[in-house]
Amino acid sequence: MDKRLVTRGLPRVRFGRFLLWLVPWAALLGVGLYAAYLCLAVGLNQTNMDNRFAFGLWIYLDLTVIALGAGAFFTGFLLYVMKKRELAGVINSAVVIGFICYSGAVAILAIDVGQPLRFWFTFWHPNVHSMLTEVTFCLTLYLTVLAIEYLPLVLRNRQLKKRPSMLVFEFELHKVMAVFALVGTFLSFFHQGSLGGLYGVLQGRPFAYRESFLAWPSTFFLFILSAAAAGPSFVLATTWIVSKVSGRSLVKPGVFDLLARVSGSLLLVYVLAKSVDTLVWINHTSFQLGVDPASFYAFAPFGTGALFAEIVLLGLVPALLLALPRTRRDPRLVVPAAFLACAGVAMNRFVMTVQTLALPTLAFDPFLSYTPSWQEVASFLAVVAYGVILYSLSFRYLNLFPHERELAALPEA
Amino acid sequence: MFPWSPEFTWDATHVAFFGALYSVLLAVAGSLALAVWRARRDAREGRAAAIAWHGDFGEMPASARACRHQLTGKAPGRACESGFDCRPCDAHGHFEELGRPAAPLEAADHFGFNLPLDRLYHRGHTWVRPEPDGTLTVGLDDLARRLVGAPERVELPGAGSRLQVNGPAGRITTRGHDVRVLSPVDGTVVAVRGEGAAATLRVDPGGTPDLRHLLSGTEARAWALRELERLQRALGSSELGAALADGGELVADVGAALPRDRYDALLGDMLLEP
Repeated sequence: MDKRLVTRGLPRVRFGRFLLWLVPWAALLGVGLYAAYLCLAVGLNQTNMDNRFAFGLWIYLDLTVIALGAGAFFTGFLLYVMKKRELAGVINSAVVIGFICYSGAVAILAIDVGQPLRFWFTFWHPNVHSMLTEVTFCLTLYLTVLAIEYLPLVLRNRQLKKRPSMLVFEFELHKVMAVFALVGTFLSFFHQGSLGGLYGVLQGRPFAYRESFLAWPSTFFLFILSAAAAGPSFVLATTWIVSKVSGRSLVKPGVFDLLARVSGSLLLVYVLAKSVDTLVWINHTSFQLGVDPASFYAFAPFGTGALFAEIVLLGLVPALLLALPRTRRDPRLVVPAAFLACAGVAMNRFVMTVQTLALPTLAFDPFLSYTPSWQEVASFLAVVAYGVILYSLSFRYLNLFPHERELAALPEA
Repeated sequence: MFPWSPEFTWDATHVAFFGALYSVLLAVAGSLALAVWRARRDAREGRAAAIAWHGDFGEMPASARACRHQLTGKAPGRACESGFDCRPCDAHGHFEELGRPAAPLEAADHFGFNLPLDRLYHRGHTWVRPEPDGTLTVGLDDLARRLVGAPERVELPGAGSRLQVNGPAGRITTRGHDVRVLSPVDGTVVAVRGEGAAATLRVDPGGTPDLRHLLSGTEARAWALRELERLQRALGSSELGAALADGGELVADVGAALPRDRYDALLGDMLLEP
């Protein structure tokens, strides 16, 4: 049965070996589900968060996977709207990654909110002045769009496409995919922005607070830009990982070059914008709020080292490596650069979430520290395991990389 | 939230926020509904076969989609864009005007398999022979028969079934793998003769058949050579031993000499079902 489901002409490991690969991930998923059950059944006292440290590991990693999942919308935008045809080779994989990232983030949010059965409250009684409302609406809608984008991939499975009803639906769905790509771009733009805006409006947290540009704080635009920059890098990095794990060539060489060029160019703009934003905050915003900016960099675990790492080490360095033609065409440099760019966006989300909450805001406030409980860690690792399992199943039974078969037929260099 | 919900007020924030939200919802639901409606229409109008071929053709590597005029050297590098159906292709008429080399009269069998030139060939390895009574005989060509060997099961359309060009004309199960066979013509099956891979269909085209998309004579020979090339490439490090490249003959049952996975891929490659 298994062989009948695998796409013709795509060699895959034996079923037994595939199951063996899934076992540890399934075990991790099981432990995580138990931890999630504890959080939901016993309560959020299972976590190490409290009223002061209300955003912990979950929100930090949620923001990170959502930013990295932006590769799905941005690749779709480049392919369907900007007509970058080369990206047809990675769009399927990008959609699956996007779906995993967003569905995983929604699952974690459901645990974090603590009352998942009341999810509809936010839709029925929304606070239209809250950035979180915008985030909730966009996240839900975009996850729906991603599920619709994932559907044609599933319907092209070797056995499913033999059913005429599935086949014609897949065909017609594919014809309106540009609409979904556009809607996805709109939604993703807004909710990445709203997530950033969420921090920028926190007047009680001077480290995160930013002045408004148009109707939104600068973090609104920085989050959009950083996600759009890191997304293509994440697609590049994951494609490379899958290629190494499976031992197969998956995409034509020009694809990595294009992804790196797009990611590098956007990252350069982001680094510039982030630097200006930081300088404005240090020299203007912080004094307006009556705080000394240097005091925020005086705490040992973070200090100016975190700022340097975020902007230079994980920002400017990968931006240059990805943008410059000589370095981005060197596989020994482009892949590490893509990983650095992803680490950069993760660092930014860490700074905005954890560092913001850890820093004291009043003279008598202590510097807070927080260590996530095993339930928090296990819940999130369950999302990672879910992602690996879903991606592995998709890679085995769906045609994630349309050029894989063609590349396999080429004589080895 | 809806305008009739208690919290809703007709101010700019509410209207802008919910206007954007419902526009997006409408675009998503509308597009989805349009796809469902069109899919139902396609199914009702019997377009599933054409859509299946459209999908399969799109998945085929460029090397398998060479235009027939590329094979004869008239259009170097040109890939087919009309799913091997030259009838609606504008460029086909232009290339035809350039003239065709005269077809050899005798059957050519020096490709490692038989290629009788008294008939027309479809790119999916079926042949068509017009009969004096106006019907068409359709069968699998010799290369395809050597590929499928002695199949376990051959499902053919019964008398009265409608066939359409590039639609399914049967399914063959061999060594546990199944592959569909493309129909080379439009028409109605009037009889099925023979058994297994050697079976033929008699098809009534319902008038004068338009067979411009089929290959004959020198074109068929050029195509056969290209197919052998593709076959050799698909076989890779030849586990069949030195044969084709050295002027030998293709073994009668290719599947017997290949590992299961590679055989499955080969069937798909050669019979155009990726």
